[in-house]
Amino acid sequence: MVETKNEPRIGVFLCHCGTNIAGSINIEEVKNYAKTLDGVVIADEYQYMCSTPGQSKIIDAINENNLNGVVVAACSPRLHEPTFRMATQEGGLNQFRFEMANIRDQNSWVHMHDLEGATEKAKDQVLIAVAKARMLEDLQPKSVPVEHAALVLGAGVGGMQAALDLANAGIKTYLVEKLPTIGGRMSQLDKTFPTLDCSQCILTPKMVDVGRHPLIELRTYTEVEKVEGYIGNFTITLRHKARGVLDPDQAAARAAATGILGTGCNGCGDCDAVCPVIKPNPFEMGMAPRKAIYIYHAQVMPLQYTIDFDACVKCGLCVDACGSEKNAIDLEAVDTFEEIKVGTCILAIGFDLIPIEEKREWGYKQYDNVITGLEFERLICASGPTVGHLIRPSDGKTPMKIGFVLCAGSRDNTGGVNKAYCSRFCCMYSLKHAHQIMEKIPGAVPYLFYMDIRSFGKMYEEFYYRIQNEGAKFIRGRVANILEDPITKNLIVNTEDTLLGRPVAMEMDMVVLAAAVQPKPEAEHIRQMFGVSKSQDGWLLEAHPKLNPCGTTTAGIYLAGVCQGPKDIPDTVAQAEGAASAASIPIHMGEVQLEPYFAMCMEDLCAGCGMCLNQCPYGALDLIEKNGRTVMEVTEAKCKGCGTCGGFCPGGAIKMQHFTSPQICAQIDAFLLKGGVN
Amino acid sequence: MAGNMRQYAFFLGCIAPNRYPGCEAAAIKTSAKLGIELLPLKGAGCCPAPGAFGAIDLKVWYALAARNIVLAEEMKMDITLICNGCYKSIWEVNHILKHNDELRDGVNEVLAEVDMEFKGSIDVWHLIELYYDKKVCGVEKVRDSVVRPLTGTKIAAHYGCHLLKPKKERHFGDTDNPMWFEALIEALGAESVQYRNKMQCCGAGGGVRGYDLTHSLDITNEKLINLEEVGADALTEVCPFCQLQYDRGQVEIEEKFGKKYGLPVLHYNELLGLAQGMTPQELALDLHAIDCTPFLEKIR
Repeated sequence: MVETKNEPRIGVFLCHCGTNIAGSINIEEVKNYAKTLDGVVIADEYQYMCSTPGQSKIIDAINENNLNGVVVAACSPRLHEPTFRMATQEGGLNQFRFEMANIRDQNSWVHMHDLEGATEKAKDQVLIAVAKARMLEDLQPKSVPVEHAALVLGAGVGGMQAALDLANAGIKTYLVEKLPTIGGRMSQLDKTFPTLDCSQCILTPKMVDVGRHPLIELRTYTEVEKVEGYIGNFTITLRHKARGVLDPDQAAARAAATGILGTGCNGCGDCDAVCPVIKPNPFEMGMAPRKAIYIYHAQVMPLQYTIDFDACVKCGLCVDACGSEKNAIDLEAVDTFEEIKVGTCILAIGFDLIPIEEKREWGYKQYDNVITGLEFERLICASGPTVGHLIRPSDGKTPMKIGFVLCAGSRDNTGGVNKAYCSRFCCMYSLKHAHQIMEKIPGAVPYLFYMDIRSFGKMYEEFYYRIQNEGAKFIRGRVANILEDPITKNLIVNTEDTLLGRPVAMEMDMVVLAAAVQPKPEAEHIRQMFGVSKSQDGWLLEAHPKLNPCGTTTAGIYLAGVCQGPKDIPDTVAQAEGAASAASIPIHMGEVQLEPYFAMCMEDLCAGCGMCLNQCPYGALDLIEKNGRTVMEVTEAKCKGCGTCGGFCPGGAIKMQHFTSPQICAQIDAFLLKGGVN
Repeated sequence: MAGNMRQYAFFLGCIAPNRYPGCEAAAIKTSAKLGIELLPLKGAGCCPAPGAFGAIDLKVWYALAARNIVLAEEMKMDITLICNGCYKSIWEVNHILKHNDELRDGVNEVLAEVDMEFKGSIDVWHLIELYYDKKVCGVEKVRDSVVRPLTGTKIAAHYGCHLLKPKKERHFGDTDNPMWFEALIEALGAESVQYRNKMQCCGAGGGVRGYDLTHSLDITNEKLINLEEVGADALTEVCPFCQLQYDRGQVEIEEKFGKKYGLPVLHYNELLGLAQGMTPQELALDLHAIDCTPFLEKIR
């Protein structure tokens, strides 16, 4: 390693980024300015500093000029800080002897038409970066071991795929699901586009695989209560909601612990038959009844009954029906908690439909025969409440003219419940619905009211042609309103046919709204527990929209499925496999390096007052006895380097590594005094 | 009694006092039984008609409406009124001038010529919203005031466009299928009926009646067909201009299209008057173009 003397020897490297930076900043002028700065021994420029020749310039300059600090003025550190740190290291310096000035995202892109102003600002940015670079210190990244286990939250098709991939890669995987069964939204669907596979038929083998896999620890009817730790070492507290019914394993455990005998639930349904409480069935979108003791649907995994304690009147009929041999029901069950340790986590928490009834002009929940796409799925499904016979809710008759309102709340930037984004699967499922009614009801005609048909996937456009040829009618126009005939309960759909250029009113027997999708209400709480950001549209934010679509800005947390943004089943499964791959890497590496930006206690200054302990959001600080004095100690693995304690400490005894007070003061002074203080 | 009365400056409008004086009488007498005292807004002029004036010169519309508002400001009372057209003019101008200083200064320059100034110190209410508002009256109080329930009648509601729209500049919430007017109808003991295309225009507003009578009646006719379909005994509204269109319009429709409906059309205050025990003579129902007798017989 090159000897780093006290005297600063800084190299400044300016990137053109093609014309991204050089188009609005006079690089030559900034370079000449940089050369005048105190401690700068070389200033250079290149078209693309991140390229191999660009990096070589840094490496060579370090060696030739005996540099002890490197400043690169280029893009965002989020993009290329690792690149340039590695170059700094290759040149023989400690990688933290590097500072970056973001003259692209924070300058040239925002001041695109102000060459003079942008150039002056770039000079300031370089000045500030050099001021810090003069005071940089060698730091050593810390390695921590990684738990050989993963968490997947949400057991829809995405979560199941991710769990299977992780488990098949030899990683113990906790698959946590809020509902009593795995399967998610996909199990509510009848058929899938464009192949017209039966959704359940292709899903249930996966559900069985998940249930059988020795490395998958299934936790249904369970929610995440608390998340602590960091990549490699997450401690997650799970809340097992009181289910009131014991599976055979739990029954055996009970027998061992208390001597109460019973074989546990075998899914026979005797309890269901006698339960007197009837509630709407959420799996059937409220279109069928459900008892207070229930299984979610016929193909649940695990096959174990659940008591809805919000509805249960504790009459005890189910306990008698279950009998002393199985003795599976415990009406006094309470929530229990479990702490698990995992190295990485995947969030696959899914979506909801928007409250489309708030679009009053379309009459959902006002008019009987206006339903949503998800309700249509249940009505057309052979295992649904009507055994697959599509009927009008108002009179049970078979509808012959069925309207489909596409982009129902999607691609609409007028606010309220509307979403500016495309929900991405409604066009395709509406085409599929059109096919299904023409297949099942001879003579029935689907009318699709659309803006554009977005059939972008593999074999999707071909599917669109097929539905056109089968006789579906397409009317290009957004539906203004839907009115109900109060006597026949038929619906009059008013729209403008924009291809004919005139308003049309069409009478339908039934209307299906392809409602937009939105994040689940609990997504906000989950996001905050796991420290994941959200994008402007409310979905969970990926680390990079193109180059890191499965990761998040919190190390060790990954995303899969619609919770990151609307996507259909193939895309969800693809992302789940990507997330599983990304989540398995740190686990297989066995250790991860943490940035050494920890708080550090300067023990000779610390008075041991302990006031910093309450400030720390991560519980990383403790008071210890050392050499007969009480001083503060930082648990580096827990510290996130937020700086709260460092800013707070009354004695100035806490040093924030890489963001020390002298470094930050030097930056502020440099800007305000233009370097005059030195 | 008088001590508990809320006082409002009552803006009469033009059609109610001139064509349907029963509306005016009913408004004053029925409100009194609901704790609302209507005091005459002395010196009030035309609202002025939003379609006719607004379409030609907005400044004139602002200034004339502002003058009416200033009269109430001088009385230190909120304005209430019984016509959607008046509501559009006076509520909306009050709202606009309160939020647009530039316009307000311009209007005040004009008003200065008659020694007046718009201050923005009062609010404007449609009488029907005061009835529905629990803080002022509320459906329960309306129900309690009924002495002769309209039991056995099927009454359809027509809200009228200017009351609810444009949605963004109003405060009524749902404008696609509101149900609060129906609640006020049912408070009188009647059954409120839903019909096809309830929120459709009466056909008169926006100058359509003046510009193209046949087209205007076409719209009215469609509404009447929809009402006939569900067997409504009467139509009620809160706008004398809508009332004129549905009431006299039926005579014109019979002349032009040869179709006779005979559907009585009553302002909500007239219905409320009947339910509170006022006589048809007090309500001047004989001045309606369509004979109200079949409806009156139903509630006898």
